[in-house]
Amino acid sequence: MGVVCVFACPVPEGKSGQQVVDGLQKQVEMMGATKSGNFLVDCETYQSNPQNVTQTPQQCVVNILHNSEHPASCFSVTESGQILVSDLLFEDLMSKLTMAKAGRESFYSQRKGFKIESRGQRYEVGDFIIKIGSVSLASNFRGILIEVEYCPCVILNECWNMMKELLQSMVGNSAETPPPVLKHKPDTVYTPSDTILQYLDHFNNFRKAVSAPPPSR
Amino acid sequence: APLTTEFFLQGSVMENSLETLVNRLKGLCDNADYQQESFQDHEMVFHIKNTSVPTPLVFRVRHSLVQTECWSLRYLGHAEVGDKNRPTLVRSYIDCPTSENVAQFIGELGFRMDHEFVVKGFYFHKGRMKITVSKFYKMNQPGNTTNDTIETVCPSYLVELSVVTSSGQEAVGDDMKNFAEQLKPLVTLEKTDHRKIQLAQT
Repeated sequence: MGVVCVFACPVPEGKSGQQVVDGLQKQVEMMGATKSGNFLVDCETYQSNPQNVTQTPQQCVVNILHNSEHPASCFSVTESGQILVSDLLFEDLMSKLTMAKAGRESFYSQRKGFKIESRGQRYEVGDFIIKIGSVSLASNFRGILIEVEYCPCVILNECWNMMKELLQSMVGNSAETPPPVLKHKPDTVYTPSDTILQYLDHFNNFRKAVSAPPPSR
Repeated sequence: APLTTEFFLQGSVMENSLETLVNRLKGLCDNADYQQESFQDHEMVFHIKNTSVPTPLVFRVRHSLVQTECWSLRYLGHAEVGDKNRPTLVRSYIDCPTSENVAQFIGELGFRMDHEFVVKGFYFHKGRMKITVSKFYKMNQPGNTTNDTIETVCPSYLVELSVVTSSGQEAVGDDMKNFAEQLKPLVTLEKTDHRKIQLAQT
Protein backbone atom coordinates (compact mmCIF):
# COMPACT_ATOMS: atom_id res chain seq x y z
CA MET A 1 0.00 0.00 0.00
CA GLY A 2 1.52 3.26 -1.12
CA VAL A 3 0.20 6.70 -2.10
CA VAL A 4 -2.77 6.71 -4.50
CA CYS A 5 -4.02 9.58 -6.68
CA VAL A 6 -7.25 9.36 -8.65
CA PHE A 7 -7.98 11.77 -11.50
CA ALA A 8 -10.73 12.07 -14.08
CA CYS A 9 -9.59 11.82 -17.66
CA PRO A 10 -11.39 14.21 -20.00
CA VAL A 11 -13.18 12.73 -23.04
CA PRO A 12 -12.59 15.18 -25.95
CA GLU A 13 -15.41 16.20 -28.32
CA GLY A 14 -15.79 13.77 -31.14
CA LYS A 15 -14.16 10.88 -29.33
CA SER A 16 -15.96 8.05 -27.50
CA GLY A 17 -15.13 6.86 -24.00
CA GLN A 18 -13.98 3.50 -25.35
CA GLN A 19 -11.58 5.20 -27.77
CA VAL A 20 -10.02 7.20 -24.92
CA VAL A 21 -9.72 4.05 -22.75
CA ASP A 22 -8.08 2.15 -25.63
CA GLY A 23 -5.64 5.03 -26.16
CA LEU A 24 -4.71 5.12 -22.48
CA GLN A 25 -4.22 1.36 -22.38
CA LYS A 26 -1.89 1.52 -25.41
CA GLN A 27 0.04 4.37 -23.78
CA VAL A 28 0.49 2.43 -20.56
CA GLU A 29 1.54 -0.73 -22.41
CA MET A 30 4.13 1.29 -24.35
CA MET A 31 5.60 2.29 -20.96
CA GLY A 32 6.23 -1.38 -20.35
CA ALA A 33 3.28 -2.01 -18.04
CA THR A 34 1.95 -5.56 -17.71
CA LYS A 35 -1.73 -6.41 -17.17
CA SER A 36 -2.49 -7.71 -13.69
CA GLY A 37 -6.19 -8.43 -13.72
CA ASN A 38 -9.28 -6.28 -13.43
CA PHE A 39 -10.35 -3.89 -10.72
CA LEU A 40 -13.64 -2.54 -9.44
CA VAL A 41 -14.53 0.29 -7.06
CA ASP A 42 -18.29 0.60 -6.48
CA CYS A 43 -20.62 2.75 -4.40
CA GLU A 44 -24.19 2.34 -3.15
CA THR A 45 -26.06 5.12 -1.37
CA TYR A 46 -28.59 4.88 1.45
CA GLN A 47 -30.76 7.59 2.95
CA SER A 48 -32.51 7.77 6.31
CA ASN A 49 -36.26 7.49 6.76
CA PRO A 50 -37.74 10.87 7.75
CA GLN A 51 -39.64 9.04 10.54
CA ASN A 52 -36.36 8.19 12.34
CA VAL A 53 -36.10 9.88 15.72
CA THR A 54 -32.88 11.90 15.49
CA GLN A 55 -31.46 15.05 17.04
CA THR A 56 -31.12 16.83 13.69
CA PRO A 57 -33.99 17.12 11.22
CA GLN A 58 -31.85 16.70 8.08
CA GLN A 59 -31.81 13.46 6.22
CA CYS A 60 -28.72 11.29 6.82
CA VAL A 61 -27.02 9.87 3.76
CA VAL A 62 -24.45 7.11 3.90
CA ASN A 63 -22.33 5.82 1.01
CA ILE A 64 -21.02 2.27 1.11
CA LEU A 65 -18.01 1.55 -1.10
CA HIS A 66 -15.94 -1.48 -1.98
CA ASN A 67 -12.48 -1.57 -3.52
CA SER A 68 -11.28 -4.80 -5.16
CA GLU A 69 -7.78 -3.93 -3.88
CA HIS A 70 -9.14 -4.65 -0.35
CA PRO A 71 -11.59 -7.49 -1.01
CA ALA A 72 -12.45 -8.36 2.61
CA SER A 73 -13.34 -4.80 3.56
CA CYS A 74 -16.21 -2.41 3.27
CA PHE A 75 -15.93 1.40 3.56
CA SER A 76 -18.93 3.39 4.82
CA VAL A 77 -18.86 7.17 4.58
CA THR A 78 -21.26 9.66 6.16
CA GLU A 79 -21.86 13.17 4.83
CA SER A 80 -19.45 14.66 7.35
CA GLY A 81 -16.66 12.47 5.94
CA GLN A 82 -16.58 10.02 8.87
CA ILE A 83 -15.38 6.71 7.38
CA LEU A 84 -15.98 3.35 8.99
CA VAL A 85 -13.60 0.66 7.72
CA SER A 86 -15.05 -2.75 8.50
CA ASP A 87 -15.44 -6.36 7.54
CA LEU A 88 -17.96 -7.12 4.74
CA LEU A 89 -20.34 -8.28 7.53
CA PHE A 90 -21.26 -4.60 7.86
CA GLU A 91 -23.60 -5.17 4.92
CA ASP A 92 -25.57 -7.70 7.02
CA LEU A 93 -25.89 -5.00 9.69
CA MET A 94 -26.98 -2.52 7.03
CA SER A 95 -29.67 -4.95 5.89
CA LYS A 96 -31.10 -4.81 9.45
CA LEU A 97 -31.45 -1.05 8.95
CA THR A 98 -33.04 -1.35 5.51
CA MET A 99 -35.41 -4.20 6.34
CA ALA A 100 -39.00 -3.17 6.90
CA LYS A 101 -40.63 -5.32 9.57
CA ALA A 102 -44.32 -5.94 10.17
CA GLY A 103 -45.80 -2.69 11.41
CA ARG A 104 -42.58 -0.70 11.14
CA GLU A 105 -40.89 1.02 8.25
CA SER A 106 -37.19 0.61 7.60
CA PHE A 107 -34.69 3.08 9.08
CA TYR A 108 -32.75 3.45 5.85
CA SER A 109 -33.52 2.80 2.20
CA GLN A 110 -31.34 2.44 -0.84
CA ARG A 111 -31.34 5.45 -3.20
CA LYS A 112 -32.52 4.08 -6.53
CA GLY A 113 -30.42 4.83 -9.60
CA PHE A 114 -27.45 5.97 -7.53
CA LYS A 115 -25.24 2.91 -7.83
CA ILE A 116 -21.98 3.99 -9.47
CA GLU A 117 -18.75 2.14 -10.23
CA SER A 118 -15.34 2.44 -11.86
CA ARG A 119 -14.29 -0.75 -13.56
CA GLY A 120 -11.38 -1.67 -15.82
CA GLN A 121 -7.91 -3.02 -16.35
CA ARG A 122 -5.17 -3.02 -13.68
CA TYR A 123 -1.54 -2.63 -14.74
CA GLU A 124 1.83 -2.89 -12.97
CA VAL A 125 4.95 -1.06 -14.14
CA GLY A 126 8.01 -0.84 -11.91
CA ASP A 127 6.88 0.48 -8.51
CA PHE A 128 3.59 1.80 -9.91
CA ILE A 129 0.11 0.35 -10.19
CA ILE A 130 -2.07 2.02 -12.83
CA LYS A 131 -5.83 1.49 -13.16
CA ILE A 132 -7.88 2.77 -16.08
CA GLY A 133 -11.54 2.76 -15.13
CA SER A 134 -14.75 3.33 -17.05
CA VAL A 135 -17.33 4.91 -14.77
CA SER A 136 -20.97 3.83 -15.04
CA LEU A 137 -23.91 5.29 -13.16
CA ALA A 138 -26.92 2.96 -13.21
CA SER A 139 -25.35 1.17 -16.23
CA ASN A 140 -24.81 4.42 -18.19
CA PHE A 141 -21.25 5.40 -19.12
CA ARG A 142 -20.30 8.64 -17.37
CA GLY A 143 -16.55 9.10 -17.76
CA ILE A 144 -13.06 7.76 -17.10
CA LEU A 145 -11.05 7.66 -13.86
CA ILE A 146 -7.30 7.00 -13.76
CA GLU A 147 -5.80 5.69 -10.53
CA VAL A 148 -2.03 5.75 -10.03
CA GLU A 149 -0.40 4.19 -6.97
CA TYR A 150 3.26 4.63 -6.07
CA CYS A 151 3.89 1.68 -3.75
CA PRO A 152 7.18 2.40 -1.91
CA CYS A 153 6.03 5.70 -0.39
CA VAL A 154 3.33 6.52 2.18
CA ILE A 155 3.64 10.32 2.35
CA LEU A 156 2.11 12.31 -0.54
CA ASN A 157 4.54 15.23 -0.34
CA GLU A 158 7.51 12.96 -0.79
CA CYS A 159 6.39 11.54 -4.13
CA TRP A 160 3.89 14.04 -5.57
CA ASN A 161 6.30 15.53 -8.15
CA MET A 162 7.06 12.12 -9.59
CA MET A 163 3.40 11.03 -9.60
CA LYS A 164 2.44 14.35 -11.21
CA GLU A 165 4.84 13.70 -14.09
CA LEU A 166 3.28 10.30 -14.77
CA LEU A 167 -0.30 11.55 -14.31
CA GLN A 168 0.10 14.60 -16.56
CA SER A 169 1.27 12.37 -19.40
CA MET A 170 -2.11 10.62 -19.12
CA VAL A 171 -4.69 13.21 -18.00
CA GLY A 172 -2.98 16.50 -18.87
CA ASN A 173 -3.37 19.65 -16.78
CA SER A 174 -6.09 18.35 -14.46
CA ALA A 175 -3.19 16.76 -12.52
CA GLU A 176 -1.49 20.12 -11.90
CA THR A 177 -2.24 19.93 -8.17
CA PRO A 178 -2.90 16.97 -5.85
CA PRO A 179 -6.48 15.69 -5.47
CA PRO A 180 -8.58 18.12 -3.32
CA VAL A 181 -9.29 15.39 -0.75
CA LEU A 182 -5.56 15.03 -0.03
CA LYS A 183 -4.64 18.72 -0.03
CA HIS A 184 -5.03 19.20 3.72
CA LYS A 185 -2.99 16.13 4.63
CA PRO A 186 0.12 16.05 2.41
CA ASP A 187 2.46 15.00 5.24
CA THR A 188 0.35 12.35 6.97
CA VAL A 189 0.59 8.61 6.36
CA TYR A 190 -1.62 7.62 3.43
CA THR A 191 -4.38 5.08 4.12
CA PRO A 192 -6.89 3.08 2.01
CA SER A 193 -9.65 5.38 3.35
CA ASP A 194 -8.01 8.28 1.49
CA THR A 195 -8.43 6.38 -1.79
CA ILE A 196 -12.10 5.79 -0.99
CA LEU A 197 -12.63 9.51 -0.27
CA GLN A 198 -11.07 10.40 -3.65
CA TYR A 199 -13.36 7.96 -5.47
CA LEU A 200 -16.41 9.25 -3.58
CA ASP A 201 -15.49 12.84 -4.51
CA HIS A 202 -15.33 11.87 -8.21
CA PHE A 203 -18.49 9.74 -8.01
CA ASN A 204 -20.41 12.67 -6.50
CA ASN A 205 -19.17 14.92 -9.32
CA PHE A 206 -20.35 12.39 -11.92
CA ARG A 207 -23.72 12.10 -10.16
CA LYS A 208 -24.16 15.91 -10.13
CA ALA A 209 -23.37 16.08 -13.85
CA VAL A 210 -26.26 13.70 -14.55
CA SER A 211 -28.45 16.51 -15.87
CA ALA A 212 -25.94 17.03 -18.71
CA PRO A 213 -26.04 14.45 -21.53
CA PRO A 214 -23.39 11.71 -21.04
CA PRO A 215 -20.34 11.57 -23.37
CA SER A 216 -20.74 8.99 -26.13
CA ARG A 217 -19.63 5.46 -25.31
CA ALA B 1 -23.47 -13.31 2.92
CA PRO B 2 -25.46 -15.94 4.83
CA LEU B 3 -26.72 -14.61 8.12
CA THR B 4 -25.27 -16.35 11.14
CA THR B 5 -27.03 -17.86 14.12
CA GLU B 6 -25.88 -18.32 17.68
CA PHE B 7 -26.93 -21.48 19.51
CA PHE B 8 -26.47 -20.99 23.25
CA LEU B 9 -27.15 -22.15 26.79
CA GLN B 10 -26.82 -20.07 29.95
CA GLY B 11 -26.30 -20.62 33.64
CA SER B 12 -24.61 -18.98 36.58
CA VAL B 13 -22.27 -19.72 39.47
CA MET B 14 -21.56 -17.93 42.72
CA GLU B 15 -18.16 -16.34 43.33
CA ASN B 16 -17.06 -19.12 45.67
CA SER B 17 -17.53 -21.78 42.95
CA LEU B 18 -15.57 -19.90 40.30
CA GLU B 19 -12.20 -21.59 40.85
CA THR B 20 -13.68 -25.09 40.77
CA LEU B 21 -15.60 -24.34 37.56
CA VAL B 22 -12.56 -22.80 35.83
CA ASN B 23 -10.43 -25.83 36.75
CA ARG B 24 -13.10 -28.20 35.41
CA LEU B 25 -13.32 -26.22 32.17
CA LYS B 26 -9.53 -26.22 31.80
CA GLY B 27 -9.64 -30.02 32.05
CA LEU B 28 -12.43 -30.43 29.48
CA CYS B 29 -11.45 -27.79 26.92
CA ASP B 30 -8.73 -27.29 24.31
CA ASN B 31 -5.25 -25.93 25.06
CA ALA B 32 -5.19 -27.19 28.64
CA ASP B 33 -1.44 -26.51 28.99
CA TYR B 34 -1.74 -22.85 28.14
CA GLN B 35 -2.68 -20.16 30.61
CA GLN B 36 -6.40 -19.59 30.48
CA GLU B 37 -7.59 -16.75 28.28
CA SER B 38 -9.18 -13.80 30.01
CA PHE B 39 -10.96 -10.78 28.62
CA GLN B 40 -12.02 -7.29 29.71
CA ASP B 41 -14.49 -5.61 27.39
CA HIS B 42 -16.49 -2.41 27.36
CA GLU B 43 -19.84 -2.58 25.58
CA MET B 44 -22.03 0.37 24.58
CA VAL B 45 -25.61 -0.41 23.61
CA PHE B 46 -27.11 1.90 20.99
CA HIS B 47 -30.73 2.32 19.88
CA ILE B 48 -32.24 3.80 16.74
CA LYS B 49 -35.92 4.66 16.87
CA ASN B 50 -38.63 5.27 14.37
CA THR B 51 -41.90 7.04 15.10
CA SER B 52 -43.91 4.27 13.40
CA VAL B 53 -43.22 1.71 16.18
CA PRO B 54 -41.72 2.10 19.68
CA THR B 55 -39.33 -0.90 19.69
CA PRO B 56 -35.88 0.33 18.69
CA LEU B 57 -33.26 -1.48 16.63
CA VAL B 58 -30.32 -2.28 18.90
CA PHE B 59 -26.67 -2.34 17.82
CA ARG B 60 -23.82 -2.97 20.25
CA VAL B 61 -20.33 -1.48 20.08
CA ARG B 62 -17.84 -3.65 21.88
CA HIS B 63 -14.14 -3.17 22.39
CA SER B 64 -11.41 -4.76 24.40
CA LEU B 65 -9.91 -2.79 27.28
CA VAL B 66 -6.78 -4.92 26.89
CA GLN B 67 -6.29 -4.93 23.10
CA THR B 68 -7.56 -1.42 22.57
CA GLU B 69 -7.42 -1.56 18.77
CA CYS B 70 -10.06 -4.34 18.61
CA TRP B 71 -13.52 -2.85 18.09
CA SER B 72 -16.63 -4.52 16.78
CA LEU B 73 -20.23 -3.70 15.92
CA ARG B 74 -22.69 -6.41 16.95
CA TYR B 75 -26.31 -7.31 16.50
CA LEU B 76 -28.06 -9.90 18.66
CA GLY B 77 -31.59 -11.00 17.74
CA HIS B 78 -34.23 -12.05 20.25
CA ALA B 79 -33.42 -15.34 21.99
CA GLU B 80 -35.90 -17.98 20.82
CA VAL B 81 -36.75 -20.95 23.00
CA GLY B 82 -38.36 -22.91 20.17
CA ASP B 83 -40.00 -26.27 20.92
CA LYS B 84 -38.92 -28.41 23.86
CA ASN B 85 -37.05 -30.85 21.58
CA ARG B 86 -34.54 -28.17 20.67
CA PRO B 87 -31.72 -28.38 23.23
CA THR B 88 -30.51 -24.77 22.99
CA LEU B 89 -31.64 -21.16 22.68
CA VAL B 90 -31.18 -19.63 19.25
CA ARG B 91 -30.74 -16.03 18.07
CA SER B 92 -29.42 -14.27 15.02
CA TYR B 93 -25.91 -12.98 15.56
CA ILE B 94 -23.69 -10.57 13.64
CA ASP B 95 -20.26 -9.57 14.96
CA CYS B 96 -18.46 -7.23 12.56
CA PRO B 97 -14.87 -6.04 13.20
CA THR B 98 -14.57 -2.31 12.55
CA SER B 99 -12.27 0.69 12.82
CA GLU B 100 -12.10 2.54 16.14
CA ASN B 101 -14.50 5.34 15.18
CA VAL B 102 -17.54 3.03 15.14
CA ALA B 103 -19.39 4.77 18.01
CA GLN B 104 -19.11 8.20 16.33
CA PHE B 105 -20.07 6.66 13.00
CA ILE B 106 -23.32 5.06 14.17
CA GLY B 107 -24.08 8.25 16.09
CA GLU B 108 -24.12 10.03 12.72
CA LEU B 109 -26.48 7.35 11.37
CA GLY B 110 -29.00 8.29 14.06
CA PHE B 111 -28.17 5.84 16.88
CA ARG B 112 -28.14 7.07 20.50
CA MET B 113 -26.42 5.28 23.38
CA ASP B 114 -28.90 3.70 25.77
CA HIS B 115 -26.50 2.19 28.33
CA GLU B 116 -22.99 0.81 28.71
CA PHE B 117 -21.21 -1.72 30.89
CA VAL B 118 -17.92 -3.49 31.47
CA VAL B 119 -17.65 -7.27 31.37
CA LYS B 120 -14.64 -9.26 32.54
CA GLY B 121 -14.00 -12.97 32.64
CA PHE B 122 -12.48 -16.05 31.09
CA TYR B 123 -13.09 -17.90 27.87
CA PHE B 124 -12.47 -21.44 26.72
CA HIS B 125 -12.88 -23.35 23.47
CA LYS B 126 -13.74 -26.94 22.75
CA GLY B 127 -13.82 -27.45 18.98
CA ARG B 128 -16.29 -24.87 17.72
CA MET B 129 -17.94 -24.39 21.11
CA LYS B 130 -17.06 -21.31 23.12
CA ILE B 131 -17.55 -21.11 26.87
CA THR B 132 -17.37 -17.80 28.71
CA VAL B 133 -17.51 -17.13 32.45
CA SER B 134 -18.28 -13.43 32.90
CA LYS B 135 -18.89 -10.84 35.54
CA PHE B 136 -20.74 -7.63 34.71
CA TYR B 137 -19.95 -4.18 36.04
CA LYS B 138 -21.98 -1.02 35.87
CA MET B 139 -20.15 2.21 35.15
CA ASN B 140 -20.70 4.97 37.69
CA GLN B 141 -19.19 7.62 35.40
CA PRO B 142 -20.22 7.68 31.74
CA GLY B 143 -17.36 6.60 29.51
CA ASN B 144 -15.05 5.77 32.42
CA THR B 145 -13.94 2.13 32.61
CA THR B 146 -11.24 2.38 35.29
CA ASN B 147 -11.48 -0.01 38.24
CA ASP B 148 -12.27 2.70 40.77
CA THR B 149 -15.36 3.86 38.85
CA ILE B 150 -16.98 0.50 38.10
CA GLU B 151 -18.87 -1.76 40.47
CA THR B 152 -20.22 -5.28 40.14
CA VAL B 153 -23.88 -5.73 39.28
CA CYS B 154 -24.14 -8.90 41.37
CA PRO B 155 -21.71 -11.43 42.87
CA SER B 156 -22.45 -14.28 40.41
CA TYR B 157 -20.78 -15.11 37.14
CA LEU B 158 -22.77 -15.69 33.94
CA VAL B 159 -21.69 -18.91 32.23
CA GLU B 160 -22.48 -19.16 28.52
CA LEU B 161 -21.88 -22.03 26.12
CA SER B 162 -22.29 -20.99 22.48
CA VAL B 163 -21.66 -21.89 18.87
CA VAL B 164 -21.96 -19.39 16.03
CA THR B 165 -22.74 -20.98 12.68
CA SER B 166 -25.03 -20.62 9.67
CA SER B 167 -28.67 -21.31 10.54
CA GLY B 168 -30.02 -24.83 10.04
CA GLN B 169 -27.13 -26.65 11.71
CA GLU B 170 -29.38 -28.27 14.28
CA ALA B 171 -26.93 -31.09 15.16
CA VAL B 172 -24.84 -28.50 17.00
CA GLY B 173 -27.43 -28.46 19.78
CA ASP B 174 -26.86 -32.12 20.65
CA ASP B 175 -23.07 -31.63 20.97
CA MET B 176 -23.70 -28.69 23.24
CA LYS B 177 -26.20 -30.58 25.38
CA ASN B 178 -23.66 -33.39 25.87
CA PHE B 179 -20.96 -30.94 26.88
CA ALA B 180 -23.30 -29.18 29.30
CA GLU B 181 -23.99 -32.54 31.02
CA GLN B 182 -20.28 -32.77 31.86
CA LEU B 183 -20.42 -29.51 33.77
CA LYS B 184 -23.19 -30.68 36.10
CA PRO B 185 -23.61 -30.31 39.04
CA LEU B 186 -21.10 -27.38 39.14
CA VAL B 187 -23.29 -25.34 36.83
CA THR B 188 -26.61 -26.08 35.14
CA LEU B 189 -26.63 -24.67 31.61
CA GLU B 190 -30.14 -24.37 30.29
CA LYS B 191 -32.54 -22.60 27.96
CA THR B 192 -33.48 -19.59 30.07
CA ASP B 193 -36.67 -18.06 28.68
CA HIS B 194 -35.66 -14.40 28.26
CA ARG B 195 -39.28 -13.30 27.98
CA LYS B 196 -39.79 -14.29 31.64
CA ILE B 197 -36.89 -12.01 32.69
CA GLN B 198 -38.34 -9.13 30.67
CA LEU B 199 -41.81 -9.71 32.17
CA ALA B 200 -40.34 -9.69 35.68
CA GLN B 201 -38.87 -6.24 35.00
CA THR B 202 -42.22 -4.66 34.05
